[in-house]
Amino acid sequence: MSATAAQKPKKPESSLAKRESRLAYYLLTPTLLVLFLLAFYPLGTVFYNSMTNRVFASTQEVEFVGFENFRNLLSVTARQLEPEVDDAGNTVMDPDTGDVQYQPAVRVLPREPRRYRELGQFSLFGNRYVLGATDPEFILSIGDSLRFTFISVVIETILGLGIAMVVNSKFRGRGMMRVFMLVPWVIPTAVSSRMWEWMFSSSRVGLINVVFQKLSLGNGQIPFLASETWQVPAMIIIDVWKTTPFMALLLLAGLQIISKDLYEAADVDGASKLRQFWSITLPLLRPTIAVALVFRTLDAVRVFDLFQIVLAQKRYSMASYAYYELINGQRMGYSSAASVIIFVVITVFAIGYIRLLGVDSD
Amino acid sequence: MTKQTQKIISRILFYAVLLIVAIYLLFPFYWALNSSFKTENQLQMTPATFVPRDPTTNEVAFSLNNYKGVFQNKDFGRGLINSTIVAVSTTVLSLVVGAFAAFALGKLRFRGRTPSLYLILSMTMFPQVAVLTGLYAVIRQLELPAIPSMILSYMLFTLPFTTWVMTSFFKELPSELMQSAQVDGATPFQTFYKILLPLTLPALVTTGLLAFISAWNEYLFALTFTTIESSARTVPVVMALFTGQISRQEPFGEIMAAAILVTIPLLILVLVFQQKIVEGLTAGAVKG
Repeated sequence: MSATAAQKPKKPESSLAKRESRLAYYLLTPTLLVLFLLAFYPLGTVFYNSMTNRVFASTQEVEFVGFENFRNLLSVTARQLEPEVDDAGNTVMDPDTGDVQYQPAVRVLPREPRRYRELGQFSLFGNRYVLGATDPEFILSIGDSLRFTFISVVIETILGLGIAMVVNSKFRGRGMMRVFMLVPWVIPTAVSSRMWEWMFSSSRVGLINVVFQKLSLGNGQIPFLASETWQVPAMIIIDVWKTTPFMALLLLAGLQIISKDLYEAADVDGASKLRQFWSITLPLLRPTIAVALVFRTLDAVRVFDLFQIVLAQKRYSMASYAYYELINGQRMGYSSAASVIIFVVITVFAIGYIRLLGVDSD
Repeated sequence: MTKQTQKIISRILFYAVLLIVAIYLLFPFYWALNSSFKTENQLQMTPATFVPRDPTTNEVAFSLNNYKGVFQNKDFGRGLINSTIVAVSTTVLSLVVGAFAAFALGKLRFRGRTPSLYLILSMTMFPQVAVLTGLYAVIRQLELPAIPSMILSYMLFTLPFTTWVMTSFFKELPSELMQSAQVDGATPFQTFYKILLPLTLPALVTTGLLAFISAWNEYLFALTFTTIESSARTVPVVMALFTGQISRQEPFGEIMAAAILVTIPLLILVLVFQQKIVEGLTAGAVKG
């Protein structure tokens, strides 16, 4: 934006510049046309539906509800819990643990105009608080999706860069390694997710439990996909395996268009390999890393098939929650609002990367 | 320590790291291969065996039943053909159309460059589930058969990807290249296909490969658009609908066998293209 805006007022456009921008518009037209044709109506309806109470596959009259869906998805509150007091005015203690007993959360959480359900409890400065949400499952899915996105994208980027640099260097068997590198990405997600589900089986039918037991970790009966602590890490392990190749291949392409002359010159100057990495490879790779990060994050924030296939309704990602709201609940308006929230989260990430890594500066 | 021993040690370390990475990447594939040769009974053995073994005698016993089951499934062969048509068309279209746009966005100066970049990206920022019903309505309006509908709808995610990636690659090429070509009297378009395209060939191949694989593996759109026209089903849909020839329950072994059969041609494709990438590089050395 800055480049075009700054140059404009200086002097009248030369015919060359005019020809150049006309060519640019011609070249852009097919892409914009295809995307508009495909996306304009569907995206418009998502935004519109998110403000209505539309029911999927029904003839029920649609009402405009404003931001009601968003309020129901996102409302969160914290209330203080008072210790339970018996008739005599003494604080009630738990007979087993001796801890103070607090009143049930339901009693303090608001019921009107929206009913809040318990999300979790925490203690702060000696007081006990309860967190309530109108839709605890969705709030949890936001947390899980963000955790999933952050951890898996960081690991994938580092690992992907490492693999890309290895297969970019000359060694025997490089061609083979480049093919191996893509294996996880080539297997359809629908299949690889099932394969991992099998490997993560809760008995020694599954590979992971066999290996864990051999390493004396656990009893060979760890229910990876049913236990709350293991669900998200398992998803991250699968995703890192599956999409590191995507990162690696994209970064490899970026490495390949860096001119070899630069490294030769650096060698002549006696710069160490590490120094070359910091002052040649990383700066020149930055635009590629940015683009790779944008697309990887985009896919991670809206991750759907992996969660839907492996965890189904045991634990949700934002997109799988939107899916079940639509398919099982038929609540199209509500589901669309969840999708709009995903869109907003992705936008924040995208703008962050672009600002941070300067994709659009010349 | 002499320089010689240092060199040997770093070599050994290098190959050790390589080995670990290769195991991590390939082990699940090996496990799929292993499972694909097991019968239902062998799959249920505890602890799971690293090669298919007979449950009673514990001797190595490979079973080809899963592969037989896959080959007997007529939909599978047709699915392979459908998938190939859809993925190839999607890739070629998004590469060609996307390269044009990327050239404009990466190397030409015009009003509205940055907004266009963001606009293109924003088209692909929704979860597939959300756009599905709207997209279905659009495709129905266009009255397209299932295969072109899939090709067109896949461009919703491949086209922004190819455009963005190629834009960043074009931008990285030195602008002097274009200027000197212009001084020599080349039109911007000539500069594009005579200079920029050959120089970014490895990047183009990579982008195409990634787009191809996403199109090849897509499931949700394919399932939706082929519900009426079942002859147009692609491999992922066919595999998801496997009912199992032998047992009533989910035929895990057969799914794994099918996965192996689908993966191997793709790997050969990658092998061929990877060699092209290396050749392309040495043929047109970049002078910065």
